[in-house]
Amino acid sequence: MEFGEHDRGIEVREVYANGVWMKTTEVEAKLDEGNIQEAESSLREGLSLNFEEARSLLGKLEYQRGNIEGALRVFEGIDLQAAIQRLQPPIAEKVTSRRGRSHSEPLHAVSQHAASLVLEAIYLKAKSLQKLGRLSEAARECKSVLDAVERLFYQGIPDVQVDNKLQETVSQAVELLPELWKQAGHYHDAISAYRCALLSQWNLDNDCCTRIQKRFAVLLLYGGVEAGPPSLAVQIDGSYIPKNNLEEAILLLMILMRKFILGKTQWDPSVMEHLTFALSLCRQTPVLAKQLEEIMPGVYHRVDRWNSLALCYSGAGQDDAALNLLRKSLHKHERPNDLIALLLAAKICSEDSHLAAEGVVYAQRTINNAQGIDEHIKSVGLRMLGLCLGMQAKVSSSDFERSRLQSEALKSLGGAIALDCNNTDLIFELGIQYAEHRNLNAALRYAKKFIDVTGGSILKGWRLLAVVLSAQQRFSEAEVVTDAAIDETSKWEQGPLLRLKAKLKLSQSLHMDAIETYRHLLALVQAQRKSFGPLRIFPQFEDDKVNEFEIWHGLANLYSSLSHWKDAEICLGKARELKQYSYEALHTEGILREGRGQIREALAAYIDALLLEPYYVPCKVLIGGVLSNRGLKVLPVARSLLSDALRIDPTNRKAWYYLGIVHRNDGRIADAADCFQAASMLEEFDPIESFSSIH
Amino acid sequence: MSDDTPTPTTSPDGAGAGTDTDTDTDTSEPTHSTSPPSDSPSKTQSAIQSLSSILPSTPPPSLSSAFSLLHDPEVAAQISSLLRHPNSGAGENNLCRWLYDTFQSGDPDLQLVVLRFLPIIAGIYLSRVTIRKPLAGFEAVLLALYAHETTSRSGQPITVSVPDLSHPSVYHESNEPIKNNATELNLAVLSPTLEPHGTVRSTKRARIVGVALELYYSKISQMPVGSKIDFCEFCVVWSGHVYEENDGEERERMGKEGRIPLPWELLTPVLRILGHCIMGAREKKEVFEAAWAACRSLHARSMHDINSRAILATGSLLRLGKMDMEPTQNFDPTKIPNSDVLSI
Repeated sequence: MEFGEHDRGIEVREVYANGVWMKTTEVEAKLDEGNIQEAESSLREGLSLNFEEARSLLGKLEYQRGNIEGALRVFEGIDLQAAIQRLQPPIAEKVTSRRGRSHSEPLHAVSQHAASLVLEAIYLKAKSLQKLGRLSEAARECKSVLDAVERLFYQGIPDVQVDNKLQETVSQAVELLPELWKQAGHYHDAISAYRCALLSQWNLDNDCCTRIQKRFAVLLLYGGVEAGPPSLAVQIDGSYIPKNNLEEAILLLMILMRKFILGKTQWDPSVMEHLTFALSLCRQTPVLAKQLEEIMPGVYHRVDRWNSLALCYSGAGQDDAALNLLRKSLHKHERPNDLIALLLAAKICSEDSHLAAEGVVYAQRTINNAQGIDEHIKSVGLRMLGLCLGMQAKVSSSDFERSRLQSEALKSLGGAIALDCNNTDLIFELGIQYAEHRNLNAALRYAKKFIDVTGGSILKGWRLLAVVLSAQQRFSEAEVVTDAAIDETSKWEQGPLLRLKAKLKLSQSLHMDAIETYRHLLALVQAQRKSFGPLRIFPQFEDDKVNEFEIWHGLANLYSSLSHWKDAEICLGKARELKQYSYEALHTEGILREGRGQIREALAAYIDALLLEPYYVPCKVLIGGVLSNRGLKVLPVARSLLSDALRIDPTNRKAWYYLGIVHRNDGRIADAADCFQAASMLEEFDPIESFSSIH
Repeated sequence: MSDDTPTPTTSPDGAGAGTDTDTDTDTSEPTHSTSPPSDSPSKTQSAIQSLSSILPSTPPPSLSSAFSLLHDPEVAAQISSLLRHPNSGAGENNLCRWLYDTFQSGDPDLQLVVLRFLPIIAGIYLSRVTIRKPLAGFEAVLLALYAHETTSRSGQPITVSVPDLSHPSVYHESNEPIKNNATELNLAVLSPTLEPHGTVRSTKRARIVGVALELYYSKISQMPVGSKIDFCEFCVVWSGHVYEENDGEERERMGKEGRIPLPWELLTPVLRILGHCIMGAREKKEVFEAAWAACRSLHARSMHDINSRAILATGSLLRLGKMDMEPTQNFDPTKIPNSDVLSI
């Protein structure tokens, strides 16, 4: 309460008007006795004031004394609206537009001093009502200040001639009005008042304008009241008009940021936080990154800035940029143990086999630093460690190393699940890890558990279950699961499931059914492309979308497996129209050529595919296969290609099979037998889609 | 029911948005109310009558309008405890039927009463789907809210085009020449196109609840404090992370039950509601505290999910809340400066 500020001994107030000073002791004594009239007349006599002037001064005095009710009584005794009426210019002069600094000559000079006196009185009345909690009334009084200014000075006042006192009252009223409406719960009125404050020419100073912009942005962002866009009357040709609250809030916050960057206003950390909230809600973190980059050094600590930028970039899928920043911030001379940075870095690394080893270091450091209140982060550290090790195993150069990394990965994930048994992501990842290690029973258990704990709400759970079942050669069960999943999705998200279903039909040699399913899928994808833009699907499903290329390519494979070379060629042609340089299409073309006995062309296609994608295992295997029967001279080439394929994908059944043939043709019967045995064991575990493709 | 009983909770301005603390005595109609003043007393009366047959104890006689139904703490407590009952939410559940019918009555004020309980319905529903209980009653209510929102938006998505300051706007000028065609804006989809749904398919569950929460957010300024607190408490449950004070030391404990997947279709409205509770409802300390706790739990969760955007959003809400808790200065520019010399 601001009244408390007054107890600094005996106060002697003075009033000053018309060149005369007067102590208020006597007047105050009269006020205390409740004698407003006498107090008023002593002011009028002492300072040669008229009735309204004396009353205004009296009200002001009461307000300053903290006697708010008294002040209000005094103000209520003045007919302020009548006073404004008297000041108003004759109606006839109101001709042109209401406002705007017109440069025409001032026709009727309203006395700024007289106006200021009345307006201040109304403003004080509004403040009194506010203090008494009568907010709507206060707002209406405050609004009448602004309405009066518009009526009295409808042609504006040249900058140089503005009376300071008048400007102060106007600025205060402009700023107070929206706050009053807001406090009264009248949000729509508050929003109009804010817009009026910002869109009309009130000659507000920079700080005042900044405060209004910020408060308005906060109301728009969090108020929960949707209040149509600003009216069309304020449009300037070609200028941007926000069309909803969130856009308007973001615009205002960006303007505030720019003011700060240009040095026009003081730094306010909350503006950046509001903008962070708004832009991350809208997935516009690259815009946020740009804002962060524009802020001068020194405002944020460099490590904080790097980490925030990394979050922004990774939020937009730009993981490379994010990781580069995190490497800087996690440097031993910076902040090497920041948990969020460590986790993010580990996660990015866990998705790339060539970064996995680096990720292991981050994950390990996370585990070591997850202490005290952050102890719960330990399970995330273990999870990331497991994922990074699993990814590292994929590129390890020796079998020994690989199996060591794989078992460590599972151990780590096991440690994580013991700490955080309800983590659905972790349950899914364990399913994938076990599946990739061909421990299909464990994989099946986790896939089922994932569907249970998510209530079947996440598509990838259904896909994992179906693919694991297919790896166990339980095709009809896999189909039941796929059909159940199709029932649980809406039409536009069924693409990946239909593709799975087509492959399941094919695995059961139900070729016509498979073709039918592909046809269905094609119709779906084409309808999707034609009728809707990107606004239909929630972004989380975007990764799962099946594209038309995949369907034509799948059909080409299907027909070529039936030796329907003509149909296969047509489908392949369609696929290539959609994607010109595709190693997958070259792969299929090779199979087609090989099937028609054009071995040279087939080899050329396989090699082209490998030129596009050097790690593409199926083509390595196919070349190995072709060469394994082309005489002793090329056997070493075949052997090296197949070994290479097995290094990348040790569970590739065909690679083992052809390697067996190479050994046999080369006369190493025992080696050949080993390879054939491996191939026959793996046959049981071939999934119809690779486990790692399920995201 | 006597009509002349003075009812302190009943206010003439039916939809007095957020006026709980408003000591404003004037009785004029606020202009912001989008709904007509309760014009269907018969609908309200029949809703109250059928409710009283469901509640364990008779509702107070003061219960005469949709507004009192929305704000009566006793009724709210009774409905809440019925909704939280282990067997609530089944298809034949009376209360679910009442909520459904009341919402379908089409009366905007009665619809607010149903929305008031959305936090509990959504909270219990999402946490309970995994234990395979019959939940058709809850689903019917949620689908009704979803359908309502689908109709009122005509299925259109909510998009945000993020401005580029090099183009002038209503609030600023730009030195660069105005380009009329194809101003490059970053278009963001906050809520995609709404498809009609007659049943809750499991992969659409989060979306349906999310859209219902979007509807709740659009009416949040009219929601009573209790409803907002219910919502915040369920956010803690959903996140699976609880902070507890233990021997003066604060510890994080992973919640055992109720943790649910939090895709963006759910997280977006959740964060908007929490943003309101932290920044938009300052006058209510309890709401702020509940929302703060929810935000903390969701921040912990976003770290477990290593979800960059959620880390950014919850992190900034937490920092904003903190700034709010320690006001550095109470500068009020609209205050009249104190001076010992008054002049005209």
